[in-house]
Amino acid sequence: MDSASSSQPEFDYLFKLLLIGDSGVGKSSLLLRFTSDSFEDLSPTIGVDFKVKIVNIGGKRLKLAIWDTAGQERFRTLTSSYYRGAQGIIMVYDVTRRDTFTDLSDVWAKEIDLYSTNQDCIKMLVGNKVDKESERAVTKKEGINFAREYGCLFLECSAKTRVNVEQCFEELVLKILETPSLCAEGSSSVKKTNIFKQKPPQADASTSSCC
Amino acid sequence: MPASMLSQTQRYAAGALLALALRQAQIQQTRPLGSDDPDADSRDRCSSASGTSSGSESDDPELWTHESRCLLRPVFRFLDIDHKAWPALEETAASSEAKHHIGAYLRIIVEEDSESSSEKHELELALTKAVDAMSMSLEAASSSNTSQEKHNSHDQENHDKADLDTPYESSDRTSKSCETLERRNLKVPFNMEDLHNELDNPCSEASIIGDSPFYRQRRVVLLYEILSACVADTPQEDIKTSKLRKGYDARHRVAVRLLATWLNVEWIKVEAMEIMVACSAMAAAKEEKQSQESESTKSKWTKWKRGGMIGAAALTGGALMAISGGLAAPAIAAGFSALAPTLGTLVPVIGASGFAAIASAAGSVAGSVAVAASFGAAGAGLTGSKMARRTGGVEEFEFKHIGENHNQGRLAVGIFISGFVFEEEDFLRPWEGQQDNLERYALQWESKNLISLSTAIQDWLTSRLAMGLMKQGAMMTVLSSLIAALAWPATLIAATDFIDSKWSIAIDRSDKAGKLLAEVLLKGLQGNRPVTLIGFSLGARVIYKCLQTLAISGDNEGLIERVVILGAPISVKDEQWDIARKIVSGRFINVYSTNDWILGVAFRASLFSQGLAGIQPIDTPGIENIDATDYIDGHSSYLWSVQRILEQLELDTYYPVFIHRPVDPDEQKIKTQGD
Repeated sequence: MDSASSSQPEFDYLFKLLLIGDSGVGKSSLLLRFTSDSFEDLSPTIGVDFKVKIVNIGGKRLKLAIWDTAGQERFRTLTSSYYRGAQGIIMVYDVTRRDTFTDLSDVWAKEIDLYSTNQDCIKMLVGNKVDKESERAVTKKEGINFAREYGCLFLECSAKTRVNVEQCFEELVLKILETPSLCAEGSSSVKKTNIFKQKPPQADASTSSCC
Repeated sequence: MPASMLSQTQRYAAGALLALALRQAQIQQTRPLGSDDPDADSRDRCSSASGTSSGSESDDPELWTHESRCLLRPVFRFLDIDHKAWPALEETAASSEAKHHIGAYLRIIVEEDSESSSEKHELELALTKAVDAMSMSLEAASSSNTSQEKHNSHDQENHDKADLDTPYESSDRTSKSCETLERRNLKVPFNMEDLHNELDNPCSEASIIGDSPFYRQRRVVLLYEILSACVADTPQEDIKTSKLRKGYDARHRVAVRLLATWLNVEWIKVEAMEIMVACSAMAAAKEEKQSQESESTKSKWTKWKRGGMIGAAALTGGALMAISGGLAAPAIAAGFSALAPTLGTLVPVIGASGFAAIASAAGSVAGSVAVAASFGAAGAGLTGSKMARRTGGVEEFEFKHIGENHNQGRLAVGIFISGFVFEEEDFLRPWEGQQDNLERYALQWESKNLISLSTAIQDWLTSRLAMGLMKQGAMMTVLSSLIAALAWPATLIAATDFIDSKWSIAIDRSDKAGKLLAEVLLKGLQGNRPVTLIGFSLGARVIYKCLQTLAISGDNEGLIERVVILGAPISVKDEQWDIARKIVSGRFINVYSTNDWILGVAFRASLFSQGLAGIQPIDTPGIENIDATDYIDGHSSYLWSVQRILEQLELDTYYPVFIHRPVDPDEQKIKTQGD
């Protein structure tokens, strides 16, 4: 796992981000570029993947827990449970494959409506693979229109050439920081729920808990 | 991959489910369902909504799902889950939102069907039928138990004998206790409902999608593969194997039990699967051995060593049969002959070759051999350990068989310890004829001291003074004043003086016996199988001391699956119950009786002011406290009612059936006085 995750330094906020989109659009590559600044040929993600990155954005120290989901349809049931509690969701499509763009409205936007538990959660549209400009099948204009319609942020980037990758996450996080309800959720002052640190349950309350 | 009956996605989900189950089981170690306080729950919910705790929580080495625990990764490897997916699965299980993932992963198990073929379907069907057949034969075996009747007559006999022991007539209590039982059982469904909500309804989902026989087969197959993965020692590629315990980890068994609950598969089916896995592993080992016979001993040696399965047994020789000096041989032979009717047809289908195939697919033909090696020495291991002379402090310490299912591939062991005995038979009789599928042993220890103590107490009871006190109904008042730590009647103190010396010897011996028991378990004489410890009176103290020793001597979680202590002479406040609790992977039950005044009298001097586990609940999260006052007339009634109590506990269900009772001294006092 990411080396940053093991040291557990102090941070001001912790945000949960989620990457979704069709298989092969480059979600994992995007994440790999962001967390370890490298690019390689990746096999399809199995189920989910998880990375942590500590960043300084807007004068705050932030811990980003990023869940990368498999785009393959056979994992769809499983990935649906990962929408819960995410403060930011990144929808990724491939600018050279039109179907990955149309699936956004057909599939992914619906999935978000269905499974996201966070009313205010920030959505972001990312068109990947702009390095293949010659093969482009979705124009930037279309992306902007979609983003406007669904009320989300928009950027085009390339995990391969690093173009706009940092900016994707930065914009998303800045927007989250501007949203008080999301900030409150992610604030590190909210106690970490962990059985080892948690106060033992009060015995006297055990008699209740009826419906 | 032809060996596995599950598709890649399903195996992935299977691994995830085991991870989730392990984590939930660990949480429930200290926060059992049904005794959750609403505060903690809402706190939990609030933070899971916000996701504050989802940041790489899997890094905590305390977690059962953590890499260093070696509970999960070997299973992942066996299930052939891609390396890259492991950290995320661990993280998923560790995050506070884990509960919400259970439903999704359960659904995918039955949904995902792209690779299914008729051949696979037939295999699934065959396995399910085999499991059914095996569980039927298990049921038949336990219901035809003749010792049940024997026990009942013994029960009656004891009642007659011990009428003196009780200030009341016990007969009129029968109806009362029946009522209590019903009342308690009524609470169960409510409790389960609670649990459903708690887990985002995985159970109901399982039943919605799972009613068709096809899904039932799928669920059985899933459990079977997880079980195989847990039992097999898949050799590690890295060398961090030191922590990996050979055999079947108690934590795995607890997790599988929880999984079976989620999947709505009866526990007896899982027990049937355990036997099948054990037997097919042994069969695979046999095959392995035969095929290896031609090779030179030396190459075999290096192979085994490299495999990372250097069990104590394996070191002494080359081949399995030779190693264990005739101990493993009967285990395998007996296992097969006893199970021939069911297994004969079964082993060719999914047994030997199937298991070997799965194992080899995971990169380790040797894995299955290790299984047999670690369970092989089991049976004779425990009964063979007469450790008395070696340790000096304890004069007698011996395991005795109970029941007839030894060496038949049972993958769980029960050790039963009496602590208040009038004759040697009392070490065995209370535990005979119980309806479970454990390989059962009774521990006979310090019979001389225990008998003399018990008799002394009994004698004192029959003495005129005690009879007088009883007639005046003073005893009950005495007990309640004991709990309130008030002054003692002078007559009572004088009368019990002579018990004290015997008592203190027995206490001392029970502490030593506990350490010895820990030693035995650490050596793996139980065959590296999860152990359930059940004991009453001083036997409960032996268990507690054993747990304590295990806790102190390092990382020994995973040995003990469940613990039941009844009428335990252990201080409530002075001891570190939370440490003992951690050693027990599954349920930890303290059965107490508020009118067990013998315990009070005998133990008064040293520990009374601090409270006594056998008389009052233990206020440690995760320990189930069961008030058995209605079953227990006096301390010696544990001898014959222990079985009835154990039946009520329903140890084979994952969730506590008895509801955790609040610790409320006032209420207790009222109850005692009201009696």
